[in-house]
Amino acid sequence: MSSKFRDLLVTNILAVVAGLVVSGLLLLFLGKNPLEAMGTLFGSLFRDGYTVADIFVKATPLMFTALAFGFTFKANLFNIGAQGQFYLGAVTAVGFSLLMEGRLPGGLALVLIAALTILAGGLWGGLIGWLKARFNANEFLVSMMSTYVALNMMNYALRTFLMETKAEYPQTNPLDTSVWLPIFIPRTRLHIGFILAVLACVGIWVLLYKTPFGFRVRAVGNNKDAAEMAGISSKQIYIAAFFISGALAALGGFSEVNGVQHMLVQNFNPGVGSAGIGIAILANGDPIGIIFASILFGALQVGGNIMGQLSGIPSSIIDLMLGFVMVFVILSYYVREVWEDRREKARLKKAVNL
Amino acid sequence: MIISLLTRTITMGTPLLYGSLSEVYSERSGVMNTAIEGIFLMGAWAGFVGTYLTEGNLLIGLLAAVLAGILTAALYGWITIYLKQHQIVTGTAINILALGICAFFQRVIFGIPLSPLIVRPFQPIAIPLLSKIPVIGPILFNQNILTYLLFILVPAATFVLYKTSLGLSIRSIGENPEAGDVAGLKVEQIRFLTILFAGIMCGIGGAFYSIGYLGLFTTTIIGGRGWIAFAICFLGNWKPLGALSGTLIFGLAEALAIFMQSRGSGVFPNELFIALPYILTIVLTVGRRSFNVPAKLGVPYKKEG
Amino acid sequence: MSNVPLIEISNISKYFAKVIANQEVSFQIHKGEVLCLLGENGAGKSTIMKVLYGLYKADEGQILVNGEEKEINSPKDAIALGIAMIQQHFSLVQAHTVTENIILGNVHGRFNIQTYNKIVADLSARYGFEIEPTAVVKELPVGVQQKVEILKALYQNTQLLIMDEPTAVLTPQESESLMKFVKQNTQEGKAVVFITHKLREVMEVADHIVVMRNGRVVGDLRKDKTNELELSRLMIGKEITNRTYIEDPHFNQQPVALELQNISVRDPKEDMYRIKEINFQVRKGEILGIAGVSGNGQNFLCDAISGYQKLDTGKILLNGVDISDQNARERIQKGISYVPSDRQRYGLILSMKLEENMLLKSSFEDKWVNRGLIDYNKLEAYTNDKIREYDVKATGPDSLAGSLSGGNQQKVILAREVDIGSEVIIFDQPTRGLDLGAIDHIQRIILEEKKKGKAIVLISTELSEIFGLSDRIAVMYKGEFVGVYKNHELDTQKIGLLMAGYTAEGGKTDVQ
Repeated sequence: MSSKFRDLLVTNILAVVAGLVVSGLLLLFLGKNPLEAMGTLFGSLFRDGYTVADIFVKATPLMFTALAFGFTFKANLFNIGAQGQFYLGAVTAVGFSLLMEGRLPGGLALVLIAALTILAGGLWGGLIGWLKARFNANEFLVSMMSTYVALNMMNYALRTFLMETKAEYPQTNPLDTSVWLPIFIPRTRLHIGFILAVLACVGIWVLLYKTPFGFRVRAVGNNKDAAEMAGISSKQIYIAAFFISGALAALGGFSEVNGVQHMLVQNFNPGVGSAGIGIAILANGDPIGIIFASILFGALQVGGNIMGQLSGIPSSIIDLMLGFVMVFVILSYYVREVWEDRREKARLKKAVNL
Repeated sequence: MIISLLTRTITMGTPLLYGSLSEVYSERSGVMNTAIEGIFLMGAWAGFVGTYLTEGNLLIGLLAAVLAGILTAALYGWITIYLKQHQIVTGTAINILALGICAFFQRVIFGIPLSPLIVRPFQPIAIPLLSKIPVIGPILFNQNILTYLLFILVPAATFVLYKTSLGLSIRSIGENPEAGDVAGLKVEQIRFLTILFAGIMCGIGGAFYSIGYLGLFTTTIIGGRGWIAFAICFLGNWKPLGALSGTLIFGLAEALAIFMQSRGSGVFPNELFIALPYILTIVLTVGRRSFNVPAKLGVPYKKEG
Repeated sequence: MSNVPLIEISNISKYFAKVIANQEVSFQIHKGEVLCLLGENGAGKSTIMKVLYGLYKADEGQILVNGEEKEINSPKDAIALGIAMIQQHFSLVQAHTVTENIILGNVHGRFNIQTYNKIVADLSARYGFEIEPTAVVKELPVGVQQKVEILKALYQNTQLLIMDEPTAVLTPQESESLMKFVKQNTQEGKAVVFITHKLREVMEVADHIVVMRNGRVVGDLRKDKTNELELSRLMIGKEITNRTYIEDPHFNQQPVALELQNISVRDPKEDMYRIKEINFQVRKGEILGIAGVSGNGQNFLCDAISGYQKLDTGKILLNGVDISDQNARERIQKGISYVPSDRQRYGLILSMKLEENMLLKSSFEDKWVNRGLIDYNKLEAYTNDKIREYDVKATGPDSLAGSLSGGNQQKVILAREVDIGSEVIIFDQPTRGLDLGAIDHIQRIILEEKKKGKAIVLISTELSEIFGLSDRIAVMYKGEFVGVYKNHELDTQKIGLLMAGYTAEGGKTDVQ
């Protein structure tokens, strides 16, 4: 294992631990014993098969939004709009599910719905990429704002044409079981959306590191000037990267709607976009790393919820943990830079003194 | 009716101007304050808590907001300026952390309240004589004290930026930090100062929402308006007066949204008006090419040795 | 000259992460003398002066000012001690005016810009510079920008002025007047340190010479006790011989490979031409050298030929075929390649591996792709071959480009471009900033390619390089070609006049 990778692994683990420790210490303010609470958190994860499987259920949408941010990150673009693209995907998925349920065989319907979701998310994201390519618009701001726009679009849809027939709450009718994503581990909630997510991570990894297109994305991300000089059109890359990114986040919405919720309600999964960003940063944008980091965060969410039920600890502790872990991960970047620098200088001094 | 609309414009524009004015300063020095939304949130929360716990003392609340803003900004500044880490990544982390801290400690302090917690926010103070001037009077001179502060801050900020050595230094290091270094300026210190300034201003800006207008606190109270302030700096071409113009436009958009919602908008859905400021930001961001962007914005100043 | 030196540098060592820049460097600078710090690129001359100026912190050693040990932790401390430094890449805020640049760091509190405009105007007149205080630096030609830097140092009442490779951006005539200014300055009792790698300048302007090599001081002498031969031996261990041009009797007989017909590129914003009515031909196996001070349109010309810049008028023909409408990618595939002057920004992706850099311009081609995936085995083998062929000092094809030294980075770029450039290769400042060993190697590569029959365009500000390699020489001034000559028709003086916008005989041209 190269020293750089070892550094990365060690410091990341330390960062996660540090984040958890600090959050745990804050529990003292609630008069709770942090060790007990953490014990509950981790212990509860393995209490039964259902809970363990739930870790992967929670990890699924995170993988999609993390991939979304991570992919554009490789092109040195900042897609902060994954939350909105996620919602858009959810709306598309639920809309077409309601349309097609019962009229088409389930399997066919799901494939079509997935394809339409990809298209919708891709176009919505691709629009941002196009605005950047054509007008040099600041994609950070535009994608940020697009989330709020998408949120309002979703609220509007839930209040009007997608609304349940009872017309009591802004939510849809429950979906017919034919368009539910099948569960592949019995007596759990674990649906094939998880497999889709893992396949997506692997697929994106192959795309980025093994194909000419992925190479060009990374080239633009590392040095746009040199890439342009090499005949690569950064504008085309921007549009393509945002299209793929939006499609990925939208698939996350599809997986939640058709795999878990089986309907669409307002304000569901409000933190999946930011958590995705945190995960992507923890994994340094690496799609395979995202698989593991998502599972970690999924575990924190499941454990955190149980901790809340059993010990009366508020669910906001999860946000707190995420926030602290992210800050410590950033600090670990700094620590690694200093170590690397010191190592090089020491090597040099040794060479001089010999 | 127009008068009430314009009055509301100034009111809703106030926090945006606090934010965008400070953003002009920090971006001119080369640092994007991507933690702006988080600082606004911390300001809103601290302001509320400070006021509530002192049974309505708004001044204490304001001071608490400023303190919270400074601490949050200092963390951001330390990581991005001194540790030289990525500004967008760090800002995102701090925004998430701020959300966690506010939500968690709100629970720690207040538990689960049976009825919503409210405080009496800053009330508009009508300035004698001036508020009687037709048209402008009620619009400009019947606002709360946070707005009045801006009447001093905006010209002061413009003066400092263009007519003092501090302003010259700030503008120079955003364009060419090496030139500043070579000329003997402490680049990092100056940048950190502008971020602390942002902490104060955005803390006040955030507090406006909780103790200056609504009188309560929720974790969604800022709702992306920190980012709109961020965008206004950009759209205002990094000038204090540009920020003022941008603020008025967005303040108007928000005032319009509230107005249409309360009136029952008929043809257009409510959500369109809620989304209006955000759509407007997108449209304007696309339209503006980065004319005056400080050359080294967003790039940490690294020198060997 | 007084006995106590103005500055004494004592046993300074400075380590960077990858290289020892200075090792136990010691020497003295006296009032009223011109000290030339001589050494080839990478010898450590800039570094030691940056330590003196407080931009870097020494790892070992002391600095004494007027006999007292001083801690110089930042330029602020250095300025307070009366030291000023003008770097190679100017430290000016391009978007601000001359006055704003000069008073930066020198004013406190509020100020009235008019007052300072007047002060700057007076100062400028006193030294015979003709600088408009309200001019925006970005608009000023490079030679004038340098004067602004000097003016700033004079404003700060410096006792020691350090200049790092100041003549790199000047015409020969401008260099002359700079050196006259330097001599004048020392007559007033100040000291000047002139960092350079040019022997001729040293012999002309120095009183005291310190030669550095590989981070150490290898010679400390007075000018009148030494000569160029000894200096060059100290500098590199052997004599420097400038490459002499070997006339190629056949070059005029080959077919024309690259032809530019009446090329112009306008700048729409400022209503002027970036390049204007450029006409020339380059034959197979010919080297056309383009001389001229940086910033006279050379970059636009390169971009136009390579396809990154659209033409407003004119045509470009490759082997007789009009390629004016083809974009960069198409021209790469047709065999036009480009070695850019800013190699770290445009030539390489420093954070990617060597093999990926070799792939950079070829990712669209089928030869590296196997069933949709990149054939990394093939790429690795190819890169390995190139590393051996060009003697690149790297640990392997998976080394990051950023870990290589400047000379080795340039070799990698050359390896790539030479393969791609089957018809035309453009070399833009190919040896700038490299040590003599690398310079020699790269110049040999250029001559090899010429022998292979490629058409070569060579852009350089090093006149010795232009004269050593080119069959024909063109001079660019304000975006136009002010003449195309055979190598033997020009000499340093004539080319200097052309570079400054005069005719070769010293008269005025009608270039605006």
